[in-house]
Amino acid sequence: MLVSYRWLERHVDLDGIEPHRLADDLTLSTAEVEGIERFAPWLSDVIVGEVLERDAHPDADKLSLCRVDVGQDEPLQIVCGAPNVAAGQKVAVATVGTVLPGDFKIKKSRIRGVDSRGMICSLRELELGDEHDGIWVLPEPCPTGEAVAEALGLEDWVIEIDNKSLTHRPDLWGHRGIAREIAAIHGRTLRPLDTSPPETGDGEPFPVTVESPTCSRYLGLVIEGARVEASPDWLRWLLLAVGQRPIDVLVDLSNFVMLDLGQPNHAFDASRLPAGIRVRNARAGETITTLDGEERKLEESDLLIGSGEEAVALAGIMGGEASKVEDDTSRLLLEVATFDAATVRRTSTRLGLRTDSSARFEKSLDPTLPPAAAGHFARLLRELQPEVSFPARLSDVGDWSDPACELTLRPDRVRRALGAELPDETIENILTRLDFEVARAGSDLRVGVPSARATKDVTLEQDLIEEVGRIHRYGNIPEQAMLAAVEPPRPDPRRELVRRIQNRLSGPARFHEVLSYSFVGDRTLDLLGWSDEPHVRVRNPMARDEARVRRAVLPSLLGDLEANRRERSDLRLFEIGKGYRPEAANERGEPRELHQLALLWATARERVGESFDDARFARLRGVVADLLQSLGVQELAWSSPAAVPAWAHPAEILEVRGSAGDTPLAVVASLEPGLGRAIGLRDELASDVAVAEVSIDALLASDREVRRYRPIPRFPGVKLDVAVDLPESVRAGELVAVIEKAGKGQVADTELFDVYRGANVETGRKSLAYHVLLQSESKTLSDKDQARFLSRLEKGLEDLDARLRK
Amino acid sequence: MNPEATLEEARDQIDSCADHAALKEVERHYLGRKGVVAAALAGIGALPPEQRKQAGQGANRVKQAIQELVDARAEVLDAAALESERSGAGFDPSLPPARLETGSLHPITQVTRELEDLFLSMGYAVLDGPEVELDHYNFEALNIPKDHPARDSHDTFFCDDDGGLVMRTHTSPVQVRAMEQLEPPFRVIAPGRCFRQETTDASHDHTFYQMEGMVVGRDISVGHLIGAMRTLLRGIFERDLDVRLRPGYFPFVEPGFELDARCPFCEDGCSVCKRTTWIELLPCGLVHPNVLSAGGIDPEKWSGFAFGLGLSRLAMLRYGIDDVRHLFGGDLRFLEQF
Repeated sequence: MLVSYRWLERHVDLDGIEPHRLADDLTLSTAEVEGIERFAPWLSDVIVGEVLERDAHPDADKLSLCRVDVGQDEPLQIVCGAPNVAAGQKVAVATVGTVLPGDFKIKKSRIRGVDSRGMICSLRELELGDEHDGIWVLPEPCPTGEAVAEALGLEDWVIEIDNKSLTHRPDLWGHRGIAREIAAIHGRTLRPLDTSPPETGDGEPFPVTVESPTCSRYLGLVIEGARVEASPDWLRWLLLAVGQRPIDVLVDLSNFVMLDLGQPNHAFDASRLPAGIRVRNARAGETITTLDGEERKLEESDLLIGSGEEAVALAGIMGGEASKVEDDTSRLLLEVATFDAATVRRTSTRLGLRTDSSARFEKSLDPTLPPAAAGHFARLLRELQPEVSFPARLSDVGDWSDPACELTLRPDRVRRALGAELPDETIENILTRLDFEVARAGSDLRVGVPSARATKDVTLEQDLIEEVGRIHRYGNIPEQAMLAAVEPPRPDPRRELVRRIQNRLSGPARFHEVLSYSFVGDRTLDLLGWSDEPHVRVRNPMARDEARVRRAVLPSLLGDLEANRRERSDLRLFEIGKGYRPEAANERGEPRELHQLALLWATARERVGESFDDARFARLRGVVADLLQSLGVQELAWSSPAAVPAWAHPAEILEVRGSAGDTPLAVVASLEPGLGRAIGLRDELASDVAVAEVSIDALLASDREVRRYRPIPRFPGVKLDVAVDLPESVRAGELVAVIEKAGKGQVADTELFDVYRGANVETGRKSLAYHVLLQSESKTLSDKDQARFLSRLEKGLEDLDARLRK
Repeated sequence: MNPEATLEEARDQIDSCADHAALKEVERHYLGRKGVVAAALAGIGALPPEQRKQAGQGANRVKQAIQELVDARAEVLDAAALESERSGAGFDPSLPPARLETGSLHPITQVTRELEDLFLSMGYAVLDGPEVELDHYNFEALNIPKDHPARDSHDTFFCDDDGGLVMRTHTSPVQVRAMEQLEPPFRVIAPGRCFRQETTDASHDHTFYQMEGMVVGRDISVGHLIGAMRTLLRGIFERDLDVRLRPGYFPFVEPGFELDARCPFCEDGCSVCKRTTWIELLPCGLVHPNVLSAGGIDPEKWSGFAFGLGLSRLAMLRYGIDDVRHLFGGDLRFLEQF
């Protein structure tokens, strides 16, 4: 909301409170000031001139040659194109060097062969109006040579207040409310304002019926003999300062009253209300054309102003086109009403039609305000047009009650909540300055809340504490240390686990942590074939194809893959996040929340070596194994999963459990090759990609222990290399089982170091080579022990159709 | 063997040895099991008895002398090698250092951890809350009923579900969840992800991180809030910053404040503080009695304060990130820097 400093001065003496100080006061005690600017600053440079002579331009019919006294030694010669310029006028002159709106700098010029040393301005050139059919003729008494702003009292400052910070303060949506704050802050009194209802004749009131409880009060004032003409300058300047375009005196006064007292109002052409006023809910499918020319489709919950069956205004939001005041209107009905905040808000939100009026109604306006606003309007109008009359008694219909209330305030409670030693007198004084009525009741205070503050804002003791605190100023409250029992906060296993995961992965594993949006794109879901899976869906997404909330974290990592691969040939990414499963919602409707870790390792295909363990799948499996062990999972049981997720290679996939039979902790797989191609990993971006999904929920539920120390062997072991020639169909695991069996408990470690196919190995067979460590806890092993192991192994290998390679 | 001639010959050969390998070879040639000296000693038996003693002594003298020459030469070679190693020849100090490949933690994670640690050290517990949240927790229980104008500024993503689900617009719902889980007095923080349906630009994203804080106890006052916030800022900026509290309206606190801190980046106005020397840092306030009641806590017995801190914004301030969208961009060239 824009606030004019000069406008505030109509309500409170601002002597000694300069505009920036006032802005700071509001910021620190009332509401957030977003900015402060001078109103039309160029008016301090444009000066009052007197046209001494006006002659025809020697060379152009429509131009005149003026000699203008601007208070300098010599009059200026100025070429002017306006038809209305005449000798003897006081005019606004922009001299050479002055900058007008639009960064328009006045320069010396020659117009049709004649020198011109400035410009005589129109209102439009000064952004003071739309008129452009002539120059602006100033009133006679303006002193020649003075700045226009000074001569006309146009100097003003415009303060912008953040509307959000006024959400709870309907009383601050007019200048008088803001002035009341300034008065309270500085201990000044507001200038008196006549708030009595308008004086009227005793004709029959205009017929008004209210059929909906969402209109609590409806006032109608009949006005006769008003002329539709331009407003006086003072009114125009104030409206311009707060960003309103002056139209005519009726519209301008209506706006002025709203911006002055915070009470919206609307003038109808009474002749277009043949059946009186009927405040009712809209009928389904009913339409109204609002003043902006738009046809609006209404619903039954919308509140309408009707006349008979016809809709004439959208209550509290905008008037109707059909009943608007025209130049020939002779009889007006001024509506000043109180409408239900939620109703106005719902309708204006649904129609996307937010107006100055709806912004105020949705804050819950004071139902005692309409008579004062109607009286204000009537008195202002009569001042300007003494011949207007108000022949009929004021219509005043509705079922409303005065919201003014009384609250008990415990001064001790104020002191304890603020942490400030405020004497009772100070508390009383602050509240009184804010228009609260305060009476002592024992050690308590009985506080009367004025109706303007009681509609929503001040309803509890706590609200009064805020009033005291903000006027006292929070900056005056001393900092205090909290006293509390010294005890460690309760442990949070998940957070601790997540930290260990992050540390292990970003450290030894050299992975980079990513955070992705929770929304997953339709394209990704299509590629995964997950489009029909249940997703939490957002009704108003940023983009139509990103309406779904992810079920799993892993697909998010695929999104960045192609772009990143263009920049880097090796990517190691992980993300810890949440997935949502609406099909598993609880009885309160909360979707099941999964905590997951997703990993991805992608390497340019040509960089992956020939070595048997260089595939990303093997590498990533190593990362996952290390991670799980570092988290205290004692045994890792790897197996093929029963179901293959859409992102996984159908064969190259394993899941791992802490011990057989448990919930799987993780799944590791190569990326489904078709999916890789579909997301752009082909040609020069062809990549070997492995992915893994770790369930943090399952990890939390699993048995994990601190890894125990294992004694260092007391006797040296024997290391030997064993190369075995075996059929392709035999798996490495089977071979290791045979090796371990042959060791009779002495095989302490087996490490695969080569897989070979080719010369010296028949087609259909392969060679696997292991470093084997034999170790005994009771003795140093001898050559004989080694020989016995090898002979047992050779025998065992026969069952696999395998043999030792020499 | 002529001892003198053998010794002379050996001396020449030893002195010309350029490295230990050559020296070893010469040593073996003279002193090895089949070397010149051994051969001479083996030949003594064939000499007339009167010459044997002299020949034996001669051979042994030669042996000893050669050994000394070898040892001396080895020392010279060692010294030369050491000298050479120290000379630094071939060292180019302008060569680049080897690149260490590392992983990284997201800047949001780093800032979050720092704050968690700070608050944990002050006895706050860390809580988590769902990102897909019930309207009840996100609004109703926070004193923001349906049709309340404060809902406007939340730019809510609504989930099409009859149960009233939204993408949580702030971390404040965890206040209510905390009150349901914990017995007062307590102190908690809740970092996490929030969502607003608003147009994105360099300083706004539809997804961002916040951290909620809440303290409930006996007679918790605005003075306590100011003290706690100053401690928090000291932790974040590692120095004392002036703060100011000014009224701010949030339906779930009463009184509600905006807390501004003196801009830590300038003294007389910069782009971060929009030339005001204050930066708007966190909304806070005393917990509204209605919110305490909604959380099952008696506002006559207990009071508390709450605050919200923008983690995305803090990460941007901390690392000088100029575009908030980098945080969720997933671009390795960004992530690698942390």
